[in-house]
Amino acid sequence: MKHRLQDRTFTLSLTIIGIVILFSAIYPALFPTFDNLRQVLLNLSIETIVAVGMMLLMIGGDFDLSVGSVVAFAGGLCAWLMYFQNVNVFSAVSLGLLASLLIGFINGIFVAYIGINPLIQTLAMMGIVRGLALMVSGSGIQGLPYWFNAIGQGILMGLQMPVWYMIITVSIFSFLFSRTVFFRRYYYIGSNQKAAMLSGIAVKKMRLYGFMLASLLAGAAGIILSSRLGAAMSTSGEGMELRVITGVILGGASLQGGTGKIIGAFLGIVFMGLVSNIMTIARISGYWQQIILGIILIAAICIDLILKKEGDAAYKNKNTKYNV
Amino acid sequence: MLLQLQHISKSFGGVTALRDVSLHIEAGEVHALCGENGAGKSTLMNILSGNQQPTSSKILMHQQPVIISNPIQAHALGIAIVHQEKSLAEGLSIAENIFPGRQPVNKWGLINYTLLNKRVIALLNRIQLFNLPPRTLVKELSSAQQQMVEIAKALSCNPRILILDEPTAVVSGKETELLFSIIKTLKEENVTVIYISHRLREIFSISDKVTVLKDGRYQGTKITSETNTNELIKLMVGRDIQQLPANHSRLASTALKVEKLCGPGFENISLSVNKGEIVGLAGLVGAGRTEIAKSIFGAAKLYSGKIFINNKQITITNTANSIKQGISYIPEDRKSQGAFLEMSVAENIIAAKMPAANKNNLFSCSRMLAISETYKTKLNIVTPNVKQPVKLLSGGNQQKTVIAKWLLADTDILIADEPTQGVDVGARFEIYQLLLEEAARGKSILLISSELPELLLLCDTIHVVHKGRLTKSFPKEDATEEKIMQAAAAD
Repeated sequence: MKHRLQDRTFTLSLTIIGIVILFSAIYPALFPTFDNLRQVLLNLSIETIVAVGMMLLMIGGDFDLSVGSVVAFAGGLCAWLMYFQNVNVFSAVSLGLLASLLIGFINGIFVAYIGINPLIQTLAMMGIVRGLALMVSGSGIQGLPYWFNAIGQGILMGLQMPVWYMIITVSIFSFLFSRTVFFRRYYYIGSNQKAAMLSGIAVKKMRLYGFMLASLLAGAAGIILSSRLGAAMSTSGEGMELRVITGVILGGASLQGGTGKIIGAFLGIVFMGLVSNIMTIARISGYWQQIILGIILIAAICIDLILKKEGDAAYKNKNTKYNV
Repeated sequence: MLLQLQHISKSFGGVTALRDVSLHIEAGEVHALCGENGAGKSTLMNILSGNQQPTSSKILMHQQPVIISNPIQAHALGIAIVHQEKSLAEGLSIAENIFPGRQPVNKWGLINYTLLNKRVIALLNRIQLFNLPPRTLVKELSSAQQQMVEIAKALSCNPRILILDEPTAVVSGKETELLFSIIKTLKEENVTVIYISHRLREIFSISDKVTVLKDGRYQGTKITSETNTNELIKLMVGRDIQQLPANHSRLASTALKVEKLCGPGFENISLSVNKGEIVGLAGLVGAGRTEIAKSIFGAAKLYSGKIFINNKQITITNTANSIKQGISYIPEDRKSQGAFLEMSVAENIIAAKMPAANKNNLFSCSRMLAISETYKTKLNIVTPNVKQPVKLLSGGNQQKTVIAKWLLADTDILIADEPTQGVDVGARFEIYQLLLEEAARGKSILLISSELPELLLLCDTIHVVHKGRLTKSFPKEDATEEKIMQAAAAD
């Protein structure tokens, strides 16, 4: 049991189930309705897609602050191409994705090959890309083609498309991380970069790919967002990078790297989404929501540290005879 | 009687680290404390220096009971410790490292640098580090010099008892000699030195008395001149070390050959390793042995030179590539380069050959566990479960896990860089046995070691690296510790 309690995805799932049961009892008319939960999922779908990329990076010991800006830029670029340049939907989306891939490539080159600290590199990139987003979408672009809007506004089996995209992204990456050698390498890189290199893992290349994938996912999320809104705004995704990192850490990642599961990114964001939904239902002001989320983050990490210490001590206790 | 430790017990949670240990130390003696990793040496000294609190104890100094509940009280009693781990701030100067937080101040409360430097120079002279400006940044010093600075830091509070915890772990040959001459000077000044080590050779050359601990229990104290290696090993291990198997046979065909390798820190290196042969690289720390190994493995730059495997020239671009060509490398520093400490034993073992765990091209966790179980048994890695994180294993078992990783990769050539560093006696012999078995299977091994007895025991040929060049080579029959040391330390 101790062992399971150290697994964040397990504890977080329990917590989420607990919250759902508790608040279904407190607000039976408002909280546990299909409409409300559907809305919660829709609201967090974009951030979850970004969070999957962030989890991928953080397992490998990196992180990316520019994802929020990429969300705005990719959506803005698509809208600008379609609205001002009459580019067709398919090409516009492709170019938007390509542009975000390029941003990730630049981040990866500078971090992995040239050796700039990821904090500094992606902080700079956050500003640069936000500027680019402002350039392409200015005060906002509205009136996008029907087929573009259909990407994010369609409904399948009662759920909006972004929710499906989220489910697909989480499933694919969960599978890849548990079942392919390629993605498992990120655990080794995050755990000990030098040892990974000496074990024959191409650390630089893998880190580069990590940044590219994270940026690509952020770009895809941005395109889905502007499609869902039917508009591109230069302010979208502001502050998203920090919310996503919060969610991913709640979901079991650490800044040192080497830990975390893709599903944890989803659970972390779901947890945050539920908390803010409940506080909205309970009519707690938005300021309090941020304060409470901050407290929850610190509390979660503290509990984790305590459980970890106890776990290690219990192990040593059980095996003293071996520790010669 | 300067110091009496009586009935010291210490447990962490439910784990007993020390059981009723009693120890008597006379003024002015060099008292060695030895035992395998985890025997409780460091714990005992941490208690004496106030870093840890015993569960029960009685400590007498000059027959007076004393209480040591924190490092400040230990300082006041004149007890100073030099820890095994470095405790220096690398970005600060020597002077500031020696007097952290207690730099002398002038009447305005500002640091008096003239006085500080004067005191530091006096201390540095005392440990025979002459001509080293106190303002030198610690990161510019060699690791041996850093070790000396640690000692100077401990001496700065004029201790009556100086505890040295594995002081030679990072230094070799000549620097050990220097350390010993410092210890002798301190002894003349009537400072008592408690010397923790598991290197028996050092214990015999420096100590007056030696106390052995095993599994947290006191095994006995001997007068060094009246005991011998076998007796100590028996006390440490609790059994006789079995003899190593007979010689492996070395085949005539060359497996690895390098010609005129030049790279950062070494030049003009040519050597060859036959199938079934163990070739040793001796030399001082910093002579360039690790750099040579790393560039053959593709983990460091190579300016020029040729590498042949089975008489075919190859180009090595990166580590993945060299593993494919048939080279493995066990790095020197297990914690920072060898093991993934937070990850499980199984994940560590599979690290260099992950596709081995694939089933239908998909990674299979159960397959990984099955593979690692076989290696756990084969290498006798002591852990209740291969899912345990490696950091919870003892040093020797961590190292065996790293070796298992490379045995799984199953390359023809194995480069082992200090494979027994920080490994206890028992595991050390198991590692020797493994290397000999691999050689007997026809693998070629390039062994880097600072432990000369190890090289003499295992190697067919020993090359000496001195300042980045191969200066001497000895076949097994010719090699002696004296000859190798002379070549390694020549000026």
